[in-house]
Amino acid sequence: MNVEITDLTRRFGRNQAVAGVSLRAGPGVFGLLGPNGAGKTSLLRMMATVIQPSSGELRLLGRDPGAYGQRKQIRRRLGYLPQNLGYYPAFTVVEFVEYFALLKEMPPAQVPGAVAAAVEKVGLGDRARAKLRTLSGGMLRRVGIAQAIVNEPELLLLDEPTAGLDPEQRVAFRSLMRDLGQRATVVVSTHLVEDVGAACAQVALMNQGKIVFHGTPQELTARADGTAAAGDAPLERGYSAVLAQARS
Amino acid sequence: MSEHPAGVPRRAAAPADVDLERVWTAVAAVVWRREPGWLERLAGRLLRSPGLARALLTTPSLLIPWLIATAVVLGAGSIATVSTGEPLVALVAPVVAAAGIAYAYGPGIDPAWELSCSMAVSERMVLLVRALAVFGLNAVLGLAASAASGAVAAAAFGWLVPMTAVCALALAAATLARSANVGVAAGLGGWVIAVLSGQAADGRISAAFTEPALVLPYLAFTACCCAIVLAATRVRRGTP
Repeated sequence: MNVEITDLTRRFGRNQAVAGVSLRAGPGVFGLLGPNGAGKTSLLRMMATVIQPSSGELRLLGRDPGAYGQRKQIRRRLGYLPQNLGYYPAFTVVEFVEYFALLKEMPPAQVPGAVAAAVEKVGLGDRARAKLRTLSGGMLRRVGIAQAIVNEPELLLLDEPTAGLDPEQRVAFRSLMRDLGQRATVVVSTHLVEDVGAACAQVALMNQGKIVFHGTPQELTARADGTAAAGDAPLERGYSAVLAQARS
Repeated sequence: MSEHPAGVPRRAAAPADVDLERVWTAVAAVVWRREPGWLERLAGRLLRSPGLARALLTTPSLLIPWLIATAVVLGAGSIATVSTGEPLVALVAPVVAAAGIAYAYGPGIDPAWELSCSMAVSERMVLLVRALAVFGLNAVLGLAASAASGAVAAAAFGWLVPMTAVCALALAAATLARSANVGVAAGLGGWVIAVLSGQAADGRISAAFTEPALVLPYLAFTACCCAIVLAATRVRRGTP
């Protein structure tokens, strides 16, 4: 298992963002659904080793991120796309992706090839030397995805990766996710249930810091059977049914 | 997601045993390759980490506009010192350096801070290297300004130790508060208090950086601030 989480909690002052989450995930695409403030981003940030848990146990790629040496090994094999991608406006696409390849301690000789491959994978080859300040929001999102996959990570964490992408790019990105999920664990936090239905083998639904559903997209869809749950698509109705049940 | 530029059909004329995708990527790797400058290569060798060297060269307070501003402030201080006889370089240099240190690294300062916190090159190492580089450069610029102002030795070098303490205070405050502005305010406030206290006790505005008895307290204060920074940047479990 690449992700092993047991009773994980995270507090911010009095607010408990993550309240006793337990989760296991191996290779494949794992969708993390939930309303705003459900705790998805906090959970993802802990998995990205950006913040530490308040309590509970977290093991990533078979290692303990609380220990310095093991955390470093995890980070070399990790890809992370934060919800809000900060960037250096004067950097070009290639310079930005290269910077994070170096910070991930990739061997310098491998960096140019890895950067070119990542930039091509996200379809930004024709903008490779463009300054980031000249790119649209969707293109910046793709730059963020490129830096996340540049080291061919074994654990890829994507927070709202399709935000700002147009429908054509979203379809292409889902295909990329499925491809990456062949060998890596890809955890995708999203509001868009259609992304989950199209790309994820497993899905967890969070509400108020807890996981209220864990299963396949088909099982989530089935949860709407016999209910009057709202939604335009079967998966949306399943999502609404589980949330309604959790809140009742 | 991959699209060939300008819609050129990539596989149209390719022999069956040639993977044009790989060929194109190999060509792109060469064409897009960025050659690091001499400074980055030198820093990479010294630090034994190309990533750390690149992180050092992206320090906000080491970028050209910031360095120009620092040089202008210290140059003006040098001119004012020559014309008024007051040790203005020594009074200004610690605060300028403290501001540079506070703006070296942190959330809100480094645009990619969140991403940097998930990288193998640790944020503590980046902070340390950037802070040392900013301190060193400001010390050199300050010494040059002091030399240009013709200050006597005590005034020309005496501010280096207080500058270390003020910088450490700014770094500790910025790290604890996760705000560069708080760091600058702490450094400026601390230095103003030190200068005014020295003047009240000794009658000279230069007492804060010419009094030998203050060296040890400054160094002890610096050590305390460094300990705070190390404690604040260690990885720990529990609620922050």
